[in-house]
Amino acid sequence: MAGFLDNFRWPEWECIDWGERRNAVASIVAGVLFFTGWWIMIDAAVTYPSQEQMNHAFHTCGVFSTIAFFMINAVSNGQVRGDTYGEGCLGRTGARLWLFIGFMMMFGSLIASIWILFGGYVVPKKEVAPGLAVFFQNAFIFFSTLIYKFGRTEDLWG
Amino acid sequence: MAGIKALVGLSFTGAIGLTFLLLGCALEQYGVYWPLFVLIFYILSPIPTFISRRVSDDTDSSSNACRELAYFLTTGIVVSSFGLPIVLARNTTIQWGACGLVMTGNAVIFLTILGFFVVFGGGDDFSWEQW
Repeated sequence: MAGFLDNFRWPEWECIDWGERRNAVASIVAGVLFFTGWWIMIDAAVTYPSQEQMNHAFHTCGVFSTIAFFMINAVSNGQVRGDTYGEGCLGRTGARLWLFIGFMMMFGSLIASIWILFGGYVVPKKEVAPGLAVFFQNAFIFFSTLIYKFGRTEDLWG
Repeated sequence: MAGIKALVGLSFTGAIGLTFLLLGCALEQYGVYWPLFVLIFYILSPIPTFISRRVSDDTDSSSNACRELAYFLTTGIVVSSFGLPIVLARNTTIQWGACGLVMTGNAVIFLTILGFFVVFGGGDDFSWEQW
């Protein structure tokens, strides 16, 4: 009973060579998520234009998420480990600090969007769709960042 | 050159895609021309790939940050060209039937552009002299 799934194997997909395509697939999935998040927010801004339905300040979360996306993905994993050829502008410690600040902004925006959803929409029992839009925008940008950062390999020799 | 037949075939599918887009605007029951803004996305979509191929000299399979950024941006442009008709339709600026026609046209046009890249753009000897 203990190991009855040990010999189970997923069906082989031999038509696609995942090894070489992994970076491209990760980039495309990250792109879909990121821009879907933004279009969800654009749709909410168009559908609920007034300040009472959706406070225009809520766009800030998405903006900071986007800035965090570019900060996180500007630094390669090699620079953080310290094994690239050049030093980069800030060196290894600077790269780590940049990445740290980027991740803090990303997590902060995600937490803020969850706060906005519950504090601004669920609890006061307003129509919840704009709050959901803010939340999904930031959640999608968050997952897009993770996929773009960690879904790609940096093996220089393929 | 991969052949005249491929070129003619791709231009045919491109014309079909643009026909869908124009049907979504010009049919009598629709009549508004806002969906034509997706033409901007059609024109923008190959640009990141062109730039990344021009800037980087290596076409081997090693990880190439510029090429991946180009894929990311191109995917974003494609998603935006589908997002715009949906937002317009949800706002009742256009009707859902027009939205469906525009999205069909989008799919055909982007497959055409992809077909151009597959047929004419691949290979190690990609150079601007092909034009």
